[in-house]
Amino acid sequence: MVNFTVDEIRVMMDKKRNIRNMSVIAHVDHGKSTLTDSLVSKAGIIAGAKAGETRFTDTRKDEQERCITIKSTAISMYFELEDKDLVFITSPDQRDKDQKGFLINLIDSPGHVDFSSEVTAALRVTDGALVVVDCVSGVCVQTETVLRQAIAERIKPILFMNKMDRALLELQLDAEELFQTFQRIVENVNVIIATYNDDGGPMGEVRVDPSRGSVGFGSGLHGWAFTLKQFSEMYAEKFKIDVVKLMNRLWGESFFNPKTKKWSKQKDDDNKRSFCMYILDPIYKIFDSIMNYKKEEYEALLPKLGIQLKHEDKDKDGKQLLKVVMRTWLPAGEALLQMIAIHLPSPVVAQKYRMEMLYEGPHDDEAALGIKNCDPNAPLMMYVSKMVPTSDKGRFYAFGRVFSGKVATGQKARIMGPNYTPGKKEDLYEKAIQRTILMMGRYVEAIEDVPSGNICGLVGVDQFLVKTGTISTFKDAHNLKVMKFSVSPVVRVAVEPKNPADLPKLVEGLKRLTKSDPMVQCFIEESGEHIIAGAGELHLEICLKDLEEDHACIPIKKSDPVVSYRETVSEESDQMCLSKSPNKHNRLFMRACPMPDGLAEDIDDGKVNPRDDFKSRARYLTEKYDYDITEARKIWCFGPDGTGPNILLDCTKGVQYLNEIKDSVVAGFQWATKEGVLSEENLRGVRFNIYDVTLHADAIHRGGGQIIPTTRRCLYACLLTAQPRLMEPIYKCEITCPEVAVGGIYGVLNRRRGHVYEESQVAGTPMFIVKAYLPVNESFGFTADLRSNTGGQAFPQSVFDHWQVMPGNPMDPAARTYTIVQDTRKRKGLKEGLPDLAQYLDKL
Amino acid sequence: MFYIVGLGLGGPKDITVRGLEIIKGCQRVYLEAYTSILSCGTEALEEFYGRKLIVADRDLVEQGADDILEGSLNTDIALLVVGDPFGATTHTDLILRAREKGIKFQVIHNASILNAVGCCGLQLYSFGETVSIPYWTDEWQPDSFFDKIVNNYCNKLHTLCLLDIKVKEPTLESLTRKKKEFMPPKFMTVNEASKQLLEIVSRRTKAGEKPSITGESLCVGLARVGSETQQIVACSMRCMSNYDLGGPLQSLIIVGPMIHPLEIEYLEQFRLKQ
Repeated sequence: MVNFTVDEIRVMMDKKRNIRNMSVIAHVDHGKSTLTDSLVSKAGIIAGAKAGETRFTDTRKDEQERCITIKSTAISMYFELEDKDLVFITSPDQRDKDQKGFLINLIDSPGHVDFSSEVTAALRVTDGALVVVDCVSGVCVQTETVLRQAIAERIKPILFMNKMDRALLELQLDAEELFQTFQRIVENVNVIIATYNDDGGPMGEVRVDPSRGSVGFGSGLHGWAFTLKQFSEMYAEKFKIDVVKLMNRLWGESFFNPKTKKWSKQKDDDNKRSFCMYILDPIYKIFDSIMNYKKEEYEALLPKLGIQLKHEDKDKDGKQLLKVVMRTWLPAGEALLQMIAIHLPSPVVAQKYRMEMLYEGPHDDEAALGIKNCDPNAPLMMYVSKMVPTSDKGRFYAFGRVFSGKVATGQKARIMGPNYTPGKKEDLYEKAIQRTILMMGRYVEAIEDVPSGNICGLVGVDQFLVKTGTISTFKDAHNLKVMKFSVSPVVRVAVEPKNPADLPKLVEGLKRLTKSDPMVQCFIEESGEHIIAGAGELHLEICLKDLEEDHACIPIKKSDPVVSYRETVSEESDQMCLSKSPNKHNRLFMRACPMPDGLAEDIDDGKVNPRDDFKSRARYLTEKYDYDITEARKIWCFGPDGTGPNILLDCTKGVQYLNEIKDSVVAGFQWATKEGVLSEENLRGVRFNIYDVTLHADAIHRGGGQIIPTTRRCLYACLLTAQPRLMEPIYKCEITCPEVAVGGIYGVLNRRRGHVYEESQVAGTPMFIVKAYLPVNESFGFTADLRSNTGGQAFPQSVFDHWQVMPGNPMDPAARTYTIVQDTRKRKGLKEGLPDLAQYLDKL
Repeated sequence: MFYIVGLGLGGPKDITVRGLEIIKGCQRVYLEAYTSILSCGTEALEEFYGRKLIVADRDLVEQGADDILEGSLNTDIALLVVGDPFGATTHTDLILRAREKGIKFQVIHNASILNAVGCCGLQLYSFGETVSIPYWTDEWQPDSFFDKIVNNYCNKLHTLCLLDIKVKEPTLESLTRKKKEFMPPKFMTVNEASKQLLEIVSRRTKAGEKPSITGESLCVGLARVGSETQQIVACSMRCMSNYDLGGPLQSLIIVGPMIHPLEIEYLEQFRLKQ
């Protein structure tokens, strides 16, 4: 019983003002997928009665079993607004005149931090986000993470308070307490929004406000929801007040005195908070009468509220009846879809301010204008944000958003990977799009073409892209910006086939795994080991399972998980380091020193980056970090990968031909920062200064072959003479538990080198939140350990937070870091022992 | 004793008598094979000298100097270098190392392209600084040698351009990996060199400069100097960029603005007939 067809959807795709692309984001277990069901049932794909139980968007078997979303899933829905609701849409760019229908492309994303990369990929292709918060647990760590990401991508949020049924049935909060809880959550969310968005910015004001209807309340599980708009409509006639005006009165410090019939801004003895009186009271009454089996009471109440039960529902009682009643009275799909259509931006509106964040090229070329105007007749610009496995093993749909132009079956297009640079041929393929498809949860449907502002899948592109990429028909198109993930792949395992003859299958499987997950990294160590790196234990567990069952289809042996480290320095090099090129005619003189605190993070966050104008960057470095302005202007590069948190500065004076060797030095720098001297881990927070360079008179004798290895040797010497150190990744853990369990948490954290930095009670609940830093290396088995020590009452959420320098010189055999370095070297198949300075440092 | 023996340019028989005697008496004989090559190949040399040669690539000479010098305190070791030992500057380092170790050494000179270039008739006295023209890559396109050519030209001097040879050069990608992969051998020809020069000329012109070297500048191309198949041609740079002089090795001369009448007369025999 699907109430729309592909043809109807295709017609809607051209009405770009009536499209809403949105993702559902939240902390794990706050009920995204369940809530999404309500929407899907409204669109008619699943039966209304089943909504809340099916988890339509959890398409994988393990997702259904674990009741956790692992992969984000997209569905398209069509729905029409009534005339009375249409007046709420005022901007001409938010609705085509005479068009009541809306096409909603929804992406349900995972809430567990380990799968944050899926959220990032979902946000990229959408313009708005429905932020779901469990009103019992409040704003949690992952709520903040995803919200921050959304704002950074210029995604407009709306808020939904979920699990009201729990607040009423389990916590038995009274109306005023519940209001306070709601208000606190709204405030918390708005604080986060205000931290990352400037009201004067291009998105304008994005804060959520119940009195405007951008905050919804309800229960996804029971299938009911409302905004103040619904209640305002119910009462508007009675009060003879305009709906919009009444909405304002139904929230916040607004009180009504039923005796005097006067509104007031202050609480006094006779008046009552309007939100409690007009909204919560009726709901409480229904809950109370039904759950306490007061049949007469509710049978009298229901007609008053205009609720008519179907014949077959009349015999139900208790929770079953409650669900039916609430769902009939305040259908969730209705309220949510109204919120989405009214408060989330259409592609036309969103792409105007998103273009400059999305497009790497000049902001006035054809592609940029096409995106800005969401113009279906401009050249095609599409961003592929992830790969979705097909039923055909090893093949993937490339899933993404058309920002400009049209993508069509059979169309010839340029497929540009993340390493493509305009004007070059690397990472560029010109191929025909085999097929365009529409993706709806478990089903796909072929579609002729898809115009700008829509989300779709492509067949055949997976052969040319690893994970993500840009597809265009414009010859001079630049890439759409690569997504920045909030988590990094800090946990890794080595895998090998149980049967050595299966190695080719494993290699092929790893390739597929890399494609299917936005973040996972698979690579081969020097030692020949196959490594999978992921965000956390759960992420790796799922990856390994997928690898074993879907991608490689062979039994696999896996090592214990290990973490990645970073190499850094703690002091300035104690001597000027000289290295000579193999032909001895070129000499480099350099030193290393640690970056000031905060700079590495600034580089991670892109506040200091290679694309900045060098003058403004230098000013920033001078003001914030006290760098010498002339030196700061001469940053040659960042590394590893051209963007990492290490820099190379040119402090030379008057060296001839220096610019001719710059590329070679940069290449050597990229190499050395990717594979540090201690154990070939990435470097972090190291600044290298080149003080002098002696060069051969002839260009041929100072080519890459001479300079690249020499640069690396010199950088290694710099590191070894600057008190090298190791850095380890640290998780930020949020543990929710009842008070009695707090003691047990401390015990577990102490044993695992964790340290608590905040402990507080969740207002309005008996729950405590303990916040702690925990080394990732100590986190394996943490969840299980915690549960067994707290009688299963504590539930942790860990997310990578920062890198921390470990005490002890790794060159000192007594230090713990020495052992780590040796273990890493052994695992990577490197020579055991310590790197020898004499190998890298030359004498004058 | 450590000997560095120049082999000259032409073929096996260009070695000096003293050089040949030394080879015959040495414990180990290395053949340096990356700064230049003899067109005849290693086998022909081994046959003529009547002994085995150890081919020394760049890694061995630059980084394995100790291996080469090993044992030369008591026995005789020789390193054979095509042309003259000090034509390609790299080998001074080897001598310095030998000195450090207290090893006695001798150098046996021979002809080098640096003097054999006189065969085209231009006087060696009027040559300025010698330059090398390296193969360009997508990223690495140095042009500082062009300034040197221009400088020579302004000083009324000719410029000898040595052309890049790549024998067992690691690829750029493999330079930043531990396992080296090598490019197929490549030898720059006069037309490739002229094309790169013309590219620089056009870039400079676009940038608003007026370089004194242009497509019309007179050039002399030399191939396989000293061997039986030696070939010389004189024409404009633009002509040179389309002229095929055959196999390696080749060198290019950018002729200065002032040419002595005798030089002109001698060059005339190589002038390309249109």
